[in-house]
Amino acid sequence: MRRLLISTFAALGLAGGWTANAEVSEDVIKSSFFPYENWTPTAPGYEPGVVINADNIEQYKGIVDEFLYRYVKMGWYEIKTGPTFAMSLHPNYVEATRATADGVSLSPEGTLVNHLAGRPFPQEPDASDPEAGLKLIWNFQRGFNAGDSETILPFWWTFRNANTGKTERQLRFHWRFLNWKHRTVFDPKPDLDPNPGQIFRSVYATVLEPFDLGNTQLLIQRYEDDLRRDDGWLYLSFQRRVRRLAVGQITDAFLGSDAMIEDFEGYNGRISDFTWKYIGTRNMLTPYVKHTEQELAAEPANDADGFRFIEMGGQGNCFPMVTWQLRKVHAIEGTPKDKNHPLAKRVLYTDAETMTFPIVHVYDKKGDPWKWFPICKSHSDYHLAGNKGAGVAVDSCAVFFDEQAMHCTTLQFKSHINKEDNDPILFNVQNMRKTGR
Amino acid sequence: MRQRKLIPIGLFPCALTAVLVMLTGAQTAVAGYRSADGTLSATGFVDSATFVRKDEDLTKQRLQAQLEFGKLFRPRGIFSELSMHGTFRASYDAVYDINDDTYGSEAGGPVSYSAPGNPAFFAFINGGATPPPFTLADVPTSLGYAGTFGPLFANPAFDGAIPLPATGGTINSASNPNEGLRLAASDVYGYQDGGVILATPVRPCDVDSRGCRADYFDKTKSDLEYREFNDDWDFIRELYIDAAIPLFRGRNELALRVGRQQVVWGRTDLFRVLDVVNPMDFSRQNLYAEFEDSRIPMGMVNAEYRFGATNWFEDLNVQFLWKFEQFRPHDLGQGGEPYAILGAGNFFRAFANCWDNGCTVGNFPVADVAVEFPAQAIGIRNVNRPDHTEVGGRIEGVFKGVGFSLNALYFYSQFPSLRGGIESINPFLDPMTPNAPTVHPYSLAFDIEFPRLFMVGGSVDWYWEFAKSSFRVETSYTTDEEFADTSKASLYSDSDVFRWVIGFDRPTFIPFLNRTRAFLISGQIFGQHLLDHESYSVNSAGIPTMSQIGFQDWEDNYIVTLLIQGNYFNDRVTPQIITAYDTEAEAGVISPSVEWKPSNNWVVKFALNLKWADDTGAIAADDNRAANPYPPFTCAPPLLPPATVPPSAACFSPYSSLGAAGFEPLGRFRSGPIGAAHNEDEVQLTVRYQF
Repeated sequence: MRRLLISTFAALGLAGGWTANAEVSEDVIKSSFFPYENWTPTAPGYEPGVVINADNIEQYKGIVDEFLYRYVKMGWYEIKTGPTFAMSLHPNYVEATRATADGVSLSPEGTLVNHLAGRPFPQEPDASDPEAGLKLIWNFQRGFNAGDSETILPFWWTFRNANTGKTERQLRFHWRFLNWKHRTVFDPKPDLDPNPGQIFRSVYATVLEPFDLGNTQLLIQRYEDDLRRDDGWLYLSFQRRVRRLAVGQITDAFLGSDAMIEDFEGYNGRISDFTWKYIGTRNMLTPYVKHTEQELAAEPANDADGFRFIEMGGQGNCFPMVTWQLRKVHAIEGTPKDKNHPLAKRVLYTDAETMTFPIVHVYDKKGDPWKWFPICKSHSDYHLAGNKGAGVAVDSCAVFFDEQAMHCTTLQFKSHINKEDNDPILFNVQNMRKTGR
Repeated sequence: MRQRKLIPIGLFPCALTAVLVMLTGAQTAVAGYRSADGTLSATGFVDSATFVRKDEDLTKQRLQAQLEFGKLFRPRGIFSELSMHGTFRASYDAVYDINDDTYGSEAGGPVSYSAPGNPAFFAFINGGATPPPFTLADVPTSLGYAGTFGPLFANPAFDGAIPLPATGGTINSASNPNEGLRLAASDVYGYQDGGVILATPVRPCDVDSRGCRADYFDKTKSDLEYREFNDDWDFIRELYIDAAIPLFRGRNELALRVGRQQVVWGRTDLFRVLDVVNPMDFSRQNLYAEFEDSRIPMGMVNAEYRFGATNWFEDLNVQFLWKFEQFRPHDLGQGGEPYAILGAGNFFRAFANCWDNGCTVGNFPVADVAVEFPAQAIGIRNVNRPDHTEVGGRIEGVFKGVGFSLNALYFYSQFPSLRGGIESINPFLDPMTPNAPTVHPYSLAFDIEFPRLFMVGGSVDWYWEFAKSSFRVETSYTTDEEFADTSKASLYSDSDVFRWVIGFDRPTFIPFLNRTRAFLISGQIFGQHLLDHESYSVNSAGIPTMSQIGFQDWEDNYIVTLLIQGNYFNDRVTPQIITAYDTEAEAGVISPSVEWKPSNNWVVKFALNLKWADDTGAIAADDNRAANPYPPFTCAPPLLPPATVPPSAACFSPYSSLGAAGFEPLGRFRSGPIGAAHNEDEVQLTVRYQF
């Protein structure tokens, strides 16, 4: 019956309308997707444009995340601030939410029921709702973080010594994200077909440099069924073959970076692997920017589009040289269910408007602060020309900062929301072999 | 004394580059070239590899450069993708100059065999009945016949090996001098089992052409030093065109790759089951080079019809292969090379020289006796390389999360087969007797052939959550592989062979060693079963044998491997231990290594390669010396009657081996690639600059 219902909804979606459920109220939609339409977050003593540094950080402690507060206090970084602006998601995603979210619920196992497309739970989180944290993480997982289809090229991961600023190694990637299901913008909608494995999303990464890792490829297939483990494959150029990944181990440092596979995009695991708790909503400074108005690096040189990365600076060149803005965020605390998991918890600050993660805190097994992940997002109209109108908070830069090891991996993106570069036939094992050299 | 100087000389380039690493490691990365429009890219490396072996000092001092390029063309016509890719490699291995008295122009020397049994053997022959037409008067015991590769015995009457009559004089001639030789199995053991002793020429084939065969083991010094610059143009490792034709509105795709390339089947490490499309260059570093570097790329048409996701499969692909480049076998390394898997090259070259020039064979026909064979009696006559088409196909895909493949290949064996049953002379006939070549059953006269094979197989891989491991299984069934079989008159048989491997990969955190980075633990067990294996304890004449005759390869064998790899300092320091154990040979290898990447441009790797083997590592196998290919002359002593009694009737017909056994030659296959190299412990240092 459920399958029939979904098929019916899917057909309706393909026909161009999301009218299968009772519509979500306009108030909920406005609150969820357009919080800054008639409201601007404020904080006592805070004015956009102020530069926050070690001298005045105490004054702004309430709007700076706890990790960044300590870093600024130690003089590692100065926070430039700017005005808050809306980063509205694509109207199709909003419309899909309006039309279908009313029928979405959670199963006893914590998986989604009757989710077709859009934000599953657009309602404001309720502290009295024990499932509020779970709903927020689902909002992220079925969110519009990379649109229906995103390509990142070039994508530089730079390993840096946070004490000395020395660049130790740099990996240059080509990444692709493709949603197979719940698509709202790119045809076909809502699902790509055929999809016999019921893949929800594919991530496909290729290392371009350095030579010893060149042409290493990673393919991860995430399934619609959250209880099913991902499948993953790694093409190793020195073996010229695809190696099946033991995907249960996603807490391993990825290619030597300061990130685990689980850390990608803020959280890249099964929802069911953690217990999620909503711990509150606040106004907080976030690295959400207009990319073209930021301090840009000289690289990548000779980019055909004239694109330049966000510059890195501060202690060890581990901090993004961007203008931060005050935004409404929901905090979620995730506790791993696996007692052998290397983390005690991760705290995800979720941007209320986009349901993306501007800041992630990671605590080690003992509960001590371990890693800080700021993820810069850009308004798509102020980024690559090809992203104009994409309605996606576009990945612009990120940092995986390991404060215990005093080491960081900085990520610099040239993200492009498009479908042309992500033909579904690229997202399979055979393509890894085909392109492997 | 000279060799003692070699180690520091050989290590000097590495030491120099190591200093450069430290001086430049922190500098800005030098990336490969990429054009502004992204359509042309080039990357590569230069490196220095210095390998030192325990008893032979330097075994590799290779300077190597590799350039890889890719050029994307604007798609035209029906094509959605057009590109060209190439890999060029050039190297110079200075070991043949620096360590020239071990591997180069001055390698080897005169050899001599201990043959204390010669007097007794002469006495036995003189005292026994003389089988017709061989008379005592014909027994050539004079010094005129006593040419040999070396003085064997102090008594001048028995100075030298026992020359068989057809030797017709000394084999230590101007064309076959006792120099530039090495005992063919001396790198493995000391012949303490009384096994057959052969001498192999070891100098490059332009310096000493003895035992060389065109297009198989004929490397000149230049070929050895500059390995890629040969008649096969191996400096072009890969050069191919990629093209893609979208079909059914882009839902399917026909992908073509045409040119010299590597095609990788299979999912295994270190040993191969399905991955048999390209032959291997084992002379590069025995088993231990990365497959990418040791595969021999071949000219092929590689057509893949890619269905992508279908209604049933998450991914489905059908591949067709046509190997159009002339057949190439594995490069096993020729006699005298530092890396010659199984030592087969030594045996082949020694035996080829036997055919061309005659040879002295020690511990023949029994221990402590040495015999001279004339030319064209025993040995390897020809190497016959096939020149017909090889084709294959594969269906591969993913079904319910399980990766699978079905493979088939119609190809030629990349390992050589020694086929007996060729015409040769009878070494026991007097030089004055007509001695037209004819087929002597059970005689040690061979041609090398590469038989036609048909392989079918398949593989699967999957992830098992309970074990937090990924698993892989691979099987192949090959028809008509050829093996040495001392029970057969032609000394070979064919057998179908079933091979399989089960492997797992498990990333595992070992917190007290590294709390942020998992160790990769990867294990495999390989099995091989010869379905038509035959083994006997009586020979063709019904005589009980001293050891099992018939197939000398194992009927069943298993090899286990284990890899443990860790990473530190953001994967810039990678310690690793890889080990393998051959259960039948009872031989193993362990190779601990540390790789250091101080920057994007530099990679330094230090490794040990240590082997061990049960006892000597040289496993005995029936060597056929106790067969009777030239009746009645080779009738074994137990069959010879006292002088007063007529000879046994069995002496007058050929019969198969009585099972006298030793390491040479077939014990090599029992010892396997690990056991046969058990003396080749090495220290290895590689410094690479990549861009």
